[in-house]
Amino acid sequence: MTIELQGLVQPDRVHKRVYTDPAIFELEMDRVFGQAWLYVGHESQVPKPGDYCTTRLGREPVVMVRHTDGQVHVMFNRCPHKGAKLVPDGSGSAGKFLRCLYHGWTFKCDGSLLSVPLRSGYECTALDLKDPQYGVRKVARVATYRGFVFASLSEDGPELKEFLGGAATSLDNFCDRAPEGEVEVAGGVQRVIQRNNWKIFFENLHDTIHAVATHESSWRAAKEEHEAMPAGTPKPFEVVIVDGNGEPLEFWEKLELKGYDHGHGFMEGIFVPPTDPVSLAYVASLEASQGAVRADEILRVNRHNTIVYPSCSPHTSFQQIRVIRPLSVDRTLVEIFSFRLKGAPEATFQRTLKYTNIVNSPSSNVMPDDLEAYNRVQEGLGSDGGDWVSMHRAAGRDQPLPGGRASNGNSEMPSRNMFAAWAGYMGVDTGAKTNELAGSVE
Amino acid sequence: MNFRDWNEQQDLTQFLHHEARLLDEHRWDEWQKLFTPDGLYWVPLVHGQVDHLNHASLFCEDALLRSMRARRLEQARAYSQQPPTRTVHVLGNIALESRDDGCCTVRSTLLLLEWRKTEQRTFGGSVLHTLRRADDGWRIQTKRVDLVNCDAPHEALQVFM
Repeated sequence: MTIELQGLVQPDRVHKRVYTDPAIFELEMDRVFGQAWLYVGHESQVPKPGDYCTTRLGREPVVMVRHTDGQVHVMFNRCPHKGAKLVPDGSGSAGKFLRCLYHGWTFKCDGSLLSVPLRSGYECTALDLKDPQYGVRKVARVATYRGFVFASLSEDGPELKEFLGGAATSLDNFCDRAPEGEVEVAGGVQRVIQRNNWKIFFENLHDTIHAVATHESSWRAAKEEHEAMPAGTPKPFEVVIVDGNGEPLEFWEKLELKGYDHGHGFMEGIFVPPTDPVSLAYVASLEASQGAVRADEILRVNRHNTIVYPSCSPHTSFQQIRVIRPLSVDRTLVEIFSFRLKGAPEATFQRTLKYTNIVNSPSSNVMPDDLEAYNRVQEGLGSDGGDWVSMHRAAGRDQPLPGGRASNGNSEMPSRNMFAAWAGYMGVDTGAKTNELAGSVE
Repeated sequence: MNFRDWNEQQDLTQFLHHEARLLDEHRWDEWQKLFTPDGLYWVPLVHGQVDHLNHASLFCEDALLRSMRARRLEQARAYSQQPPTRTVHVLGNIALESRDDGCCTVRSTLLLLEWRKTEQRTFGGSVLHTLRRADDGWRIQTKRVDLVNCDAPHEALQVFM
């Protein structure tokens, strides 16, 4: 069956089918998730040789393993013998080699075949145990950026650093905020199931104007909570991170959005030097290791959600990465990983966890209204009440910048930027003049 | 450890049943008053979790966060409470784990049925109440709910378990 994709994406609007058509979802798995660099995990999740953790890249179950030589490999979680998954879902240690549960074929931690039972049974047969196809198949490309492991299921395409473009600065800042310049995954992973297409979640990451409307229940509850405290009580952290969504549209307009080629981008925050004891102790630890000037430089990079399209969203100020795993056209899994800044006080990490518990966990007070909105969008898009989804706000007003473009905080540039990338992967002509969508200046 | 006598068993059983009823009837204010001022409501994220400060949780709420959640659930524009979540708590296997001066820990088994919009969900787990005696009855120092599927992916968890 051929699917008519042409015309579904235009520079300032998209057809509802890109969110609702299961056949288009399958094509996305082949073309978007089959080509782009996808976030696999962080090297600290497999600290010792033999450590592994599993995940999914698009439709593909994969496993990240650290080999005895220290290299991190990403391979398909499939035994080349009969096809069984080699390791159970989750993370653990395989020891010195991976051993399939089904017939006991064993593999080194780089995937190469180590031994098979009844080796003599293969003598003089067409199965050559030295043939690499009897090792575990590796994903086409693996690359690491400051400890963050990415993989591509395609041999072709830009190198990781080129792919990341301007979004790489968010991963830099993520690590630079650690006094030792490194981060590690810690504190467990929260998982949230959403009943919506994965793109709806991504578009919401830089949608500033939904906050005051959608999140009224939580920002109002937070404000009321503070008002109920004795006059002059400083706003607790728990209130600050929730009531900010109640800022008026003029506030969001002042933020700068940046969009880069391949669909990435970030939102520049407004730098407000925090003055509570936990923040001050952290800043002191960074200054002690980096010096006051460099520490200030690092902390001035103040960003809310970064988009690394189409697989993850790092949040540099609160040390977390949300990983987006599409499950079906209308179901999406989001995994939330928290990171420890190496060399920072323990209270800093505890605050990271407080943030994720309050804002991102399944029990978040903020997120349920997002999920309700996404779900109502998904259900509404399935109706005959209209065919198109608008991305018109501030269209045609983007400012070019190297490798991308910038807009004010209330523009729908991020959605247009992601769909430009989507169209590229899917082989769809949007009808845009090159400079209108790519907006790049060399 | 056994209950001292039928009165003690009744006393603690009635308390747990009352607490469950307050939740099922959305009587959030009365429920919050059952806690000590520094009481903790905690639903761990992983089996055997010992630490709520250095590890993420499903719920980890002190008085401030419990109050914020209760306030949110009652907001006119809490869109994810259109319609509201309906629950029924069923407690069983109520047993005394320890008794100290004015303080005790009670273990119970929870089955929780939750309904919202189109979906009925079932949660089950083991609950540990650490209780302190106050002038007018028990207060909750810690309520810990260990779900059998704590480490599963979840859709939004909006109401207290």
